[in-house]
Amino acid sequence: MKTVEPAIAEGTALEARPSKGGSPVVQVLRERKSALLGLFIVGFFVLVAVIGPSLAPYSPNVPSGPVYAAPSAHHVLGTDGSGVDVLSEMMYGGRTSLIVGFAAALVAMIVGGGIGVLAGYSGGATDVGLMRMTDYFLVIPDLVLMIVIATVFGPSLSHVILVIGLLLWTTTARIVRSQVKSIRERVYVRRARSLGASHRRIVVQHILPQVAPLLIATTVLTIAYAIFDESALAFLGVGVPGISWGTMLEHAFERTAMTEGAWWAFVPPGLAIGLVVIGCYLMGQAIEDALNPRLRVAHLSIRTWRVRSPQTVTDELAKDEAG
Amino acid sequence: MSLLAVRDLHVWFDLPHGGRLHAVQGITFEVEVGERLGLVGESGCGKTTALLALMGLLPPSAEVEGEVLIDGIEILRGGEDAMRPHRWTDIAMVFQGAMNALNPVKTVGSQIVEPMEFHGTATGAAAKREAGDLLQLVGIPASAADRYPHEFSGGMRQRAAIAMALACEPKVLLADEPTTALDVMVQAQILQLLVSLTHDLGLAVMLVTHDLPLVTQVCERAVVMYAGRTAESAPVDTLFHDPRHPYTRLLFAATPDLTGDSEVVSIPGAPPRLDRPLVGCPFASRCDRTFDRCRVDTPELVMVAARHQAACHLNDAEHAHEMDAATGGGAS
Amino acid sequence: MHRADYVIKRIAFALITVFVAITINFILFRALPGSAVSNFSRAPHASPELRATLTHEFGLDQPLWKQYVLYLDQLIVHRNMGVSFADNQPVTTELAGKLKNTLGMVFVGTLFAIVIGIVTGFVSAWRRSGVVDHVSTNTAIVFYALPTQFIGMMLIFLFAKYLPTAGMRNEVNTFFSGGSTWSSIKDIGLHMMLPAITLALTLFGEYTLVVRSAMLETLGEDYVLTARAKGLPQRRIVVSHALRNAMLPIVTLVALSLGFIVAGAILVEIVFSWPGIGQAVYEAVATRDYPMLQGAFLVLTLSVVFFNFIADLLYFKLDPRITE
Repeated sequence: MKTVEPAIAEGTALEARPSKGGSPVVQVLRERKSALLGLFIVGFFVLVAVIGPSLAPYSPNVPSGPVYAAPSAHHVLGTDGSGVDVLSEMMYGGRTSLIVGFAAALVAMIVGGGIGVLAGYSGGATDVGLMRMTDYFLVIPDLVLMIVIATVFGPSLSHVILVIGLLLWTTTARIVRSQVKSIRERVYVRRARSLGASHRRIVVQHILPQVAPLLIATTVLTIAYAIFDESALAFLGVGVPGISWGTMLEHAFERTAMTEGAWWAFVPPGLAIGLVVIGCYLMGQAIEDALNPRLRVAHLSIRTWRVRSPQTVTDELAKDEAG
Repeated sequence: MSLLAVRDLHVWFDLPHGGRLHAVQGITFEVEVGERLGLVGESGCGKTTALLALMGLLPPSAEVEGEVLIDGIEILRGGEDAMRPHRWTDIAMVFQGAMNALNPVKTVGSQIVEPMEFHGTATGAAAKREAGDLLQLVGIPASAADRYPHEFSGGMRQRAAIAMALACEPKVLLADEPTTALDVMVQAQILQLLVSLTHDLGLAVMLVTHDLPLVTQVCERAVVMYAGRTAESAPVDTLFHDPRHPYTRLLFAATPDLTGDSEVVSIPGAPPRLDRPLVGCPFASRCDRTFDRCRVDTPELVMVAARHQAACHLNDAEHAHEMDAATGGGAS
Repeated sequence: MHRADYVIKRIAFALITVFVAITINFILFRALPGSAVSNFSRAPHASPELRATLTHEFGLDQPLWKQYVLYLDQLIVHRNMGVSFADNQPVTTELAGKLKNTLGMVFVGTLFAIVIGIVTGFVSAWRRSGVVDHVSTNTAIVFYALPTQFIGMMLIFLFAKYLPTAGMRNEVNTFFSGGSTWSSIKDIGLHMMLPAITLALTLFGEYTLVVRSAMLETLGEDYVLTARAKGLPQRRIVVSHALRNAMLPIVTLVALSLGFIVAGAILVEIVFSWPGIGQAVYEAVATRDYPMLQGAFLVLTLSVVFFNFIADLLYFKLDPRITE
């Protein structure tokens, strides 16, 4: 239904900024403040994860101070329930949490993307079959399945990564599949088919590049889920061995940091997880929004259209005459 | 006194990045009882905006000026609150792509009854009956009132939208591209319906479209808009045979003729930007008969014959011969 | 006719999913290597008679496919999920009680979250791009991003002096089964506050964002402009058209998420020692109580299937367009 928006759009068509080139992802990151903020946050933590451990003042495993010492010059973030320096734990733990998050998201991306492309491109029975399988996977509560598998197979870094990744692929698969379906119907793809291009060539040359931005957006969001899940698994005692933000929260709980008043033992890891999740969310959401622009006009709002008052007309005439 | 009179209507839109778009730049026209007036022009010329302004359906970024009179009563000046009571009771609209104008989770009948009950023109069982009658009027069985929009075909939904527009017996009916995306047979039915409505109910109908053959079939008079302004306004036949504005002439020439005699002539170039003040004639950059004055002086809309107005410098006495030469070669 | 078909199809799907869930459950716990898992009768401290009964009931000395059949039989016909390693009590009865506890807390928490979500989402959409919108949306994102257990721990840190943070032990199995005096209800209520609020804080963010999105979508629909054209006042359009249509995605989301919330409540239950299914899973993991773990997993999966099914039905009821 046509309203006035096209008129406005056309009126300013000549003003539309041409894309500065480069992939849509890069473009979004450059143009949207929220995406930049997200990138900055995540980038900061990645930096800490990479460089941090070499700058950590103390060992993350060995006690270096009294139990639950408040933040001080010696221990910037205080010590935890075993007397270990919290700041050092945060640095080493960040590395683990981020590795789990990124790696699991990568697994989800590969599996989900692969299945999504396969289902979307093949159509027919393959598609239906794969989607049914996805439906059943969707129904199983992630966390519980993760717990069960971790319990049965024993905890280790790779197990945790695999478990999280293998449960997060379903959303990615669905999104990729629907995009692949629409791309497949586009003219240039059909043309390539009729010219006899092989399936493999079509997928690699035409479909993958088009799907890539959306896949990236979804994967970024998956990183957020993965980090969240890692902390949940750790809290349940089946997380990664070693130090991570998740295990820090778990230790703090076990040793009742909350009632001891030792907020520094759980607030840093909790906030860190929250910040990384927010950062990923901002980036992923911004890319998604840019890819599916929905010009959502509201037909109702508080303000209404205005009538030009005679006073305005008089004012403008006066301005014209003066200037 | 005409049923609908629009005088010097202006609409500005605030642009998101600053500045304003002057979408409608002072149009004036009148529609009589039982008359069908066409409003034609390219996309973006402001015709839909003008319709929405008449209904008071502009977004908050809009500012208007001018007068809109229905049966002599001015409705625009008072803003949204003053205009609302007149909506649907005095003036109603059928939107472009009206297929989507119906709420999918409510029955068609209930949506026709809704304005009746709100404005108090009918209630309860009487309202339901009237809704059924209206549906029959537009060629849909009355029993269809209990159905949902998705159960109707595109053409039926469009007709239902017309029935809905008539719910409160308005004096003026605005139709924005009522037949786009419908197949030819259905188009013909709907146009026939509009014609009969003006005859039987004495409605004044304004038809906005970019489809010239449609206008020539259905409307008695038409207003040609360009870049937010009136280029020409005259009975439809006159526009076709004796256009007094190069845009009108070229527009009709650009329409593929059914007999296949004329060539398809498209008008090169694009309409001017409306976010900057314009100097001279807005059509100058695309006109085939411009001369120096066109780029400097904005032509006024003047009477060039009985009920025939045009805004072109060629209509000045000294250029009459040029206009005749152009007209002679254009129409077939 | 079409619509009846739809319901039948959804029922069939739900049943199949249940079956698949049960099968996956069996495979995970019995058919996989890791012998400690597969032997139901290996309850520590179990008497020889008990062991023999279990071995017989679940066919633990028979080939795998026979075990599967017996498992199905026991589960569906006898509602027998084996015996907990922890206390030799039937898993079924224990889980039933714990499920009730979880549902109670989840219900209250979700209700808070829905109310907050709908109100803030609606206001955000209405005053789009205003200060209210930004504050509301960003707050939603922040709480959505913070780990559930962290929110719980913060609440304990802040309110431990004012509200009970633990201490509901297994006595609460009698939650909804009558006989509760006023003080008992009050006690339960107080204990439920912090966990329910934690759950609400974790959940509302998503609801706010979805409600806002649904409202914006609806407010931009053509039929809203038509309603405005009819001369209807804004309030009426919002209630009668916009809300009515926005309800569709909102209801679906809420119903769908109920299934997962029950599972996600695990973290909250652990933090506050709330004796529900989540707590049961946690303890089962800690004590390697495999029958309990298996039973809890199945119950949780079934609850997700159940709530998804309800969501399907609700959506079906609200949207007349569904025919397939």
